[in-house]
Amino acid sequence: MFIELEGVTKIYNQGQINEVVALRDIDLRIEAHTLNCLRGASGCGKSTLLSIIGCVIQPTSGRAAVAGLQPARMPDRFLTVHRRRCIGFIFQNFNILPALTVRENITLPLVPLGLNRRAMAERVNRLLQRFSISHRGNFPAGRISGGELQRVAIARALVNDPPLILADEPTAHLDSGLSREFMEYMAALKQAGKTIIITSHDPQVTEHPAVDRVIDMKDGRIDVS
Amino acid sequence: MFLNSWSIALLICGVLVLFLLGLAARSAVRVLLFWDPESDSNRQIRLENEIWLTSTLVEYGLGVQILSLAVFVLAADYFSQSIVGAMCATGSLLANDFGIPALMVKIGGVFLYGYWIVLHQLDIRSPKYPLVRLKYVYLLLLLPLVVLDLALETVYIAGLTPEIITSCCAVVFGDAAGGGTNLLSGLTHGMSLVLFYGSVLLLLAAGAVLLAAPRPWLSLVFGCLWLGFFILALMTVTTVFSSYIYAMPYHKCPFCLLKPEYRYIGFAIYAALFGGAFMGTSVVVAEPLRRLEEMGAAVSGYRKKAVGVSLLLLILFTILSSYHYVRYLIVGGEG
Amino acid sequence: MKGALTKHLNILDYTLSSLWRRRSRNGSVLIVFAGVIFLVASFQFVTGALTETALDSLRSAPEITVQRLSAGRQTEVPLDYGGQIAGIHGVREVVPRIWGYYFDEVTGANLTVIGVDLERMPLGEKLNLTLAEGEVPEPGSTGRVLVGRSIKRIVESKGTAYLSLFRPDLSQASFAIAGVFDAATDVLTDDLIVMDIGDARDLFHISPAAATDLCVYVANLEEVPNIARKIAAALPDARVLTRSQISQTYQVVFGWRSGFASVCLLTALAAFVIFAWDKASGLSPEERREIGILKILGWETSDILAVRFWEGALVAGGAFIAGCTGAYIHVAYFDASLFRPVMVGWSVIHPSLNLVPSLQVSTLLLIFCFTVLPYMAATVIPAWRSAIVPTDSVLSGL
Repeated sequence: MFIELEGVTKIYNQGQINEVVALRDIDLRIEAHTLNCLRGASGCGKSTLLSIIGCVIQPTSGRAAVAGLQPARMPDRFLTVHRRRCIGFIFQNFNILPALTVRENITLPLVPLGLNRRAMAERVNRLLQRFSISHRGNFPAGRISGGELQRVAIARALVNDPPLILADEPTAHLDSGLSREFMEYMAALKQAGKTIIITSHDPQVTEHPAVDRVIDMKDGRIDVS
Repeated sequence: MFLNSWSIALLICGVLVLFLLGLAARSAVRVLLFWDPESDSNRQIRLENEIWLTSTLVEYGLGVQILSLAVFVLAADYFSQSIVGAMCATGSLLANDFGIPALMVKIGGVFLYGYWIVLHQLDIRSPKYPLVRLKYVYLLLLLPLVVLDLALETVYIAGLTPEIITSCCAVVFGDAAGGGTNLLSGLTHGMSLVLFYGSVLLLLAAGAVLLAAPRPWLSLVFGCLWLGFFILALMTVTTVFSSYIYAMPYHKCPFCLLKPEYRYIGFAIYAALFGGAFMGTSVVVAEPLRRLEEMGAAVSGYRKKAVGVSLLLLILFTILSSYHYVRYLIVGGEG
Repeated sequence: MKGALTKHLNILDYTLSSLWRRRSRNGSVLIVFAGVIFLVASFQFVTGALTETALDSLRSAPEITVQRLSAGRQTEVPLDYGGQIAGIHGVREVVPRIWGYYFDEVTGANLTVIGVDLERMPLGEKLNLTLAEGEVPEPGSTGRVLVGRSIKRIVESKGTAYLSLFRPDLSQASFAIAGVFDAATDVLTDDLIVMDIGDARDLFHISPAAATDLCVYVANLEEVPNIARKIAAALPDARVLTRSQISQTYQVVFGWRSGFASVCLLTALAAFVIFAWDKASGLSPEERREIGILKILGWETSDILAVRFWEGALVAGGAFIAGCTGAYIHVAYFDASLFRPVMVGWSVIHPSLNLVPSLQVSTLLLIFCFTVLPYMAATVIPAWRSAIVPTDSVLSGL
């Protein structure tokens, strides 16, 4: 099983006045090479769950295994290295750095790897070509269109060739045309062997034919109703 | 002699090291009291972040300490121009009882802060951070050394007055055995060289064997050999090689090598020696940790790198320090 | 090892771009820092140059100078002391010298007058080499003097060809200017008048059997302390000064002045360190977001710390180079005009110093310790705070 969560609970500020139980007793299994959606209202815990799967934060209790690593009680350093190798992120608003060029943005995940300039440039150029944005390579990312930004975000997530792609509300601020385009890319990535998890309550995402499974969440639990 | 730029620079360095390592020690106390690897509380996350703070502080502290050592020797050379009988740093350092101890403590500090960084680098290789407690207890034990360093340096400077009469290096390190003031009598020129080159070969052999067939006891032997060689090398550079660099048979001084008239060759020689000695002796620090959980691979990897680098630096040091002597043997003296 | 090096180069690349993106903030820190370094470096260069010039001036000085003290003040030394000193084994030559200050009421300048016997004074024959014009008078010839450039200017401004000085009884002594010292010797000669010892004796009304000091020249430099001790023992009312003692005194005085100035500059440095801390501490929301993104993308805390280190090192390095270069130009080409009043003495006549700052590694290291080290130490905690920005802050809903 590619991703396995057993009894995972996440409590913020445990024991304090502002204690928040974000996730309760989550059991979840996700197979490799599938496209999955996490759906639920705001505050249901889907971003927290995505963060645990993405090895960004650790569960308070329970067992988790993601692409071979058990993130519980791992120091941040090891989680970071695992993220670097195995996980590509696509954020809501894409979180591209507008002052950097398109090329520089896509190169960012490669910097800590210690590759030389030529090796980095080769990877980046391949992706620029694949997503048809080679002509924007040296443009400041703040000056390109929404559609191009989307493709830059996907390219950046793929630059380390990770087996797992996580997308957090990727179509929240996109029009239907771009949302449809985004899902086409995700479908293609699934075909290429990636495992994908997208958090969204956008029907264009959750009802896309390429989606293998929709996981509903409510109040920090997986809604099996 | 506080009111001059060199004294002030030394005090700045000393205060900075105290500040950096003092802050690190504060973190160390918090970590030792509250560290709980099983917890994911905010406090534990803060403590995990503080590990990065302490390592950065100690790394900066080490950098300042190394510079402080260089500044101390250069300052002593500067002070020599105001002290009767002192012709270089040797005389200044002997002008009162605190000069040489201050120098020794500084050199010790460079090594000991460096060992902490080795421990830290090994610790973060394992997800369980097995060396956390050891590391921070060691850090707390270093604090008195930092205070001692600053205290000795301050007392040394305070004790310098221009009217003091002291000795110069020709008296201190010279061959004249009868004077009673000679610090290194007993070893002849030839004996020193035999010991020196013999030790170099022994170290190279031990290092090669250790790389090819690693054994824990061999690591310890290698480290101890390096410690002995470090002291021997300092003596040989002072009593034998330096006079060939200065092209003056009676000028035997370990410090004048750092001056511009000798093209600062002392910096290269001592950098290679200190670097090699540090890497070689750090193997002794790392080896006992192999038994801890998940440390085996990290310690082996470190040992291989440390031994390799120490041998390269040993070769570099041998070439740099022997060059003028060998040149003299082949080409003869000046003029 | 190679991978680690390449990684640092990549991080350095990123840092350069990051510095450029925040150029107004980094630029302000760099400019202020360069100003502080300029001040510190200027003082160090001036001290070094003046000390070297002063020590240079001592090279031709006698190994031992003997003066006489009465009631703790210098008075005339009898010439027959010279006879006693010459009898000490190891003494090569004892040459009397008369020197004193002449206060010129018109200009308010204190001129230095030295009367020497050019035939007996070692290196007397080389004095011609120090002249820009004219020549050294024949030994024993009177009424002719060698003067520094400022004195020549004073004489010319009075419209005469003769230097007129007044004896203690207010009678006038006139001297023809035989030669003028070269500009390169200004630091020693600008306010100097060199005349025959007989003329000096006449000008100051000093008895023929006395001088102001006796210059003792010694054959073997190793013997100087011994001979000085013997002279002091034989002549209890004499003040015996060795060349190395004078040199040490110069070192201490210049060192003291430079140290005093350094202490004053420490306040400027402390203010700058606080300023730097403040600048480094303020993380804008955009910067926090950027760091969060980098960490999610796989940058470790140590990588962010490396970025901050390189940022600090590049700003400090740039400021160091700019500050030291500015200081060098200030000292070498503008004669350290901002700081001369602190370093140079009380004379009204200020020679054009032509200081050559010595660019030694030790001087640069000293400046580095005063400036760059405190700055780097001040940026450690702000750097760490920026590196521990929580990663999950970048994801929505948290």
